Amino acid sequence: MYGANLSRIPSACDTGGVSEPTPARASSTDVSVASEERTATLRPWNVVVWNDPVTPMSVVVVIFKKIFGYPDNKATQLMLTVHHEGRAIVWSGSRERAEGYCVKLQVAGLQSTIEQDE
Amino acid sequence: MARQRLFVRRRDGTIEVRLNDAGRAAAREAFGHVVAAERDPDHEWRALLRPPIDPSRDEDDPVSSLTRQSDISTNAELAVVTLGERFLSPAEAWAWLSTLQVALRATAVAHGLLTDEQLEHADADVLDTVHTLQQFLFDLADSLA
Repeated sequence: MYGANLSRIPSACDTGGVSEPTPARASSTDVSVASEERTATLRPWNVVVWNDPVTPMSVVVVIFKKIFGYPDNKATQLMLTVHHEGRAIVWSGSRERAEGYCVKLQVAGLQSTIEQDE
Repeated sequence: MARQRLFVRRRDGTIEVRLNDAGRAAAREAFGHVVAAERDPDHEWRALLRPPIDPSRDEDDPVSSLTRQSDISTNAELAVVTLGERFLSPAEAWAWLSTLQVALRATAVAHGLLTDEQLEHADADVLDTVHTLQQFLFDLADSLA
């Protein structure tokens, strides 16, 4: 499954009999911000391909198969989504891999961007 | 009479190039533009080869941008040096396809052809270039499918 479990409870450690100072209590605002940051970190990144009026459909299918290793029917379905809806999310996952795929699509001449899932 | 295919995959996996002199000249021009755009900061296609990766940020990750620049150049240079070949390996054919597709989109964007309506009203010379590149790409994609 994607992503590390950021909400796990840290394991207890031996302090050698010295009592730990009581940490300052976090305000509700701090907790809220931290929670939002954690949620934002966990949301996957989407690779989006945009439609254009000149690229042949068969070229888009070949590029999807080559870059993602998708079977013919999935590559064709995604191409049709781009064609009819103007864009399609063609891959989702970590930011680093999304950037890598986006660059490969751009190198192959397709209009592509990344965006974080909402 | 059926049109002769411009690229044909052979049983050994190589792609046969059946372009005549005019076809190779058109491919040479397209490849040359992409190489020039990567080398010349003032080339009209320059900005078109550097679209944003993440539009929500002011600047893209420099490593990703550098990778893109390097890969586009590598494909275009490989396409140029194999221009006279009769048979292409699958990797060479992929470099041709990528470079032709980059050239096609750059041509369209440079002339403001962003919609079907704009394409319908395009200048005849530009449309001729677009159709030539599309024909190359149709047959090359078929041979790689």
